[in-house]
Amino acid sequence: MAKVKSLAELKAMREKLQSTLDLREKSNDPDSLVQIKVAMATCGIAAGAKQVMEHMMEKADELKLGIVFTQTGCMGYVFGHVDNNRADEILTKYVMNNEMVEGVIPVNYETI
Amino acid sequence: MHVLVCGGTGCQASASAQIIENFQRILAEKGLQNEVQVVRTGCFGFCEKGPIVKIMPDNTFYTQVKPEDVEKIINEHIIKGRKVTDLLYLDPENKEHVSDSKHMGFYRKQLRIALRNCGFINPENIDECISRGGYEALGKCLSEMTPQQVIDEVTKSGLRGRGGAGFPTGVKWGLCAKNKCDEMYVICNADEGDPGAFMDRSIMEGDPHSIVEAMAICGYAIGATHGLVYIRAEYPLAIHRLQVAIAQAREYGLLGKDIIPAGYPPSASRHRPGPRIRPAR
Repeated sequence: MAKVKSLAELKAMREKLQSTLDLREKSNDPDSLVQIKVAMATCGIAAGAKQVMEHMMEKADELKLGIVFTQTGCMGYVFGHVDNNRADEILTKYVMNNEMVEGVIPVNYETI
Repeated sequence: MHVLVCGGTGCQASASAQIIENFQRILAEKGLQNEVQVVRTGCFGFCEKGPIVKIMPDNTFYTQVKPEDVEKIINEHIIKGRKVTDLLYLDPENKEHVSDSKHMGFYRKQLRIALRNCGFINPENIDECISRGGYEALGKCLSEMTPQQVIDEVTKSGLRGRGGAGFPTGVKWGLCAKNKCDEMYVICNADEGDPGAFMDRSIMEGDPHSIVEAMAICGYAIGATHGLVYIRAEYPLAIHRLQVAIAQAREYGLLGKDIIPAGYPPSASRHRPGPRIRPAR
């Protein structure tokens, strides 16, 4: 371990290390952040929810969006059909600009 | 996902070490060891309901967890995303289970200052401390402030001793700084003699670096070159964690001779071997 030689070095170190605690910092105050719940019951996983969730988490990091991802049980809808492209749309349209993404929510509903 | 398991004295007495071992073993069996990080933290402050296990990011607070509950938490919560209701805190008034500690009566009104890192970081990992701003105050004092400015700032802050007399810390430091002698010591009295009090132990076990940093700041302000922490032998975990913290701080060059600043002041006491621990026997 190289020694810390200046305050600036210490601050740079902090910036670099912050990502390791990022998840804990965010969950300390989850109510103030966007939360995305991915239905990961057997049906969801079979339909590819795990890959989509991983993709979304990477994309959210890339876009520097502070989002808490959690997995939940079955939401009762085995549709929604979010794939990687749809996931990107949800992040860029809905999360960033508050625009609804067409075709993801069943037609009769505005929200779930 | 992070699993925080309390590693304070209270929870350790009710098998939290076994809980951590079970988490690590079962997660490894399921191939989840890289996705879920198990962290031994300091005290959450709710020892009565220990051992405490906190799951993040959904901030689920499990109470009185037994080693044999671990498999259920992994299978239900971590894998399937379903909380284990039986292990959630039961509100004594409305008899409802509370999942997030923020909504528990006990925590709702708390604003943690000295204990902000307890139950949040791994106290034996200096990186986690630094990522929450640890040692930056020391860095600032050493590189941007004179000892007198540090003393003035502490005086202005209104910080006072909690020993009963409420003596203003800045005044104390100012008096010490005036007293010139060959060798000065900062002594941290961590004996915690008051019956039934465990807050000092909580800090030492949960955020030991904050004590090391504070002592170094005090040393700089008053011109001391050595530090001593006086701890009772009944606090073996606190002694261990402080020793780890001191060793890590030395390794990082945050404690010892010629630390951090090149700047200010040019020659004043930049010679800090740092605290040593003296357990009372």
